[in-house]
Amino acid sequence: MSHEIARTTPVPQPAPPPPVERMVFTPPIDIYETDEGLLLRADLPGVSLDTLELQVQDNKLTLFGRMQPSIPEGAKLLHQEFETGDFLRSFILSDEVAHERISAKLNHGVLEVLLPKAPKAEPRRIQVRTN
Amino acid sequence: MAVFRWGHSWDAFHDLEREVDRLLQSVNMTFQGLRFSRQYPPVNLYELPDEYLIMAEVPGVRPEDLELTIASGVLGMKGRCVEPEGTSEERFRRQERPRGVWQRSISIPDRVNVDNLSAEFTNGMLKIHLPKAEAAVARQIPVAFGS
Repeated sequence: MSHEIARTTPVPQPAPPPPVERMVFTPPIDIYETDEGLLLRADLPGVSLDTLELQVQDNKLTLFGRMQPSIPEGAKLLHQEFETGDFLRSFILSDEVAHERISAKLNHGVLEVLLPKAPKAEPRRIQVRTN
Repeated sequence: MAVFRWGHSWDAFHDLEREVDRLLQSVNMTFQGLRFSRQYPPVNLYELPDEYLIMAEVPGVRPEDLELTIASGVLGMKGRCVEPEGTSEERFRRQERPRGVWQRSISIPDRVNVDNLSAEFTNGMLKIHLPKAEAAVARQIPVAFGS
């Protein structure tokens, strides 16, 4: 009987191992002004395209990257100068940035985000009428 | 029209709050800087049954600017983090990433087979494989018996 049930109900997946406490780092960044807008560069060593998330919500740009250095299983750490963890940093975008045209690329552990300038709103004359 | 409003009298306070926030953020930044006041690039060393592994964080280095050498048991790493051509200093609004030419030497223990080193460079991480040398096989030493 119990066998029957086991066959028809989806087998419960083994619970994932409890998440290991990971360090969260603030990556160093450069912000550079170009003619088209602002160029943001962030050092994210060990982060690949699959482990990088870049998101704009309202006027906040958030980058989150998971460092995944390919250390073989069972490697014994003899000497440590950097730690493995996640990169997180967010920025408040000014109104000058054209949100919908933001583009980004990742090269050799450096994320480059282009924040193009929004065209300035032209002053507009408003006609005033009377009844 | 009310000239004085309670709500507005706190505005100065909010400004102060914002200022303090900004100040604290900049303190945070100096801590980041500490990370780089150590030797660059930071390396981790791992041991595996058949090799040692060196991992170095070198984001932003182009593979053609990366130089690895081995001579008399010393592994040399050299590279540079450069800005693209035509980047003028005054257009930076923020500059936190380490820049310039860097160099680091690491002594390699004798137990490494230096003829078979290999390295990979992915996502700004340099990984150097140092295979262990064949362990000296224990030899029997014949003892001659004097009569």
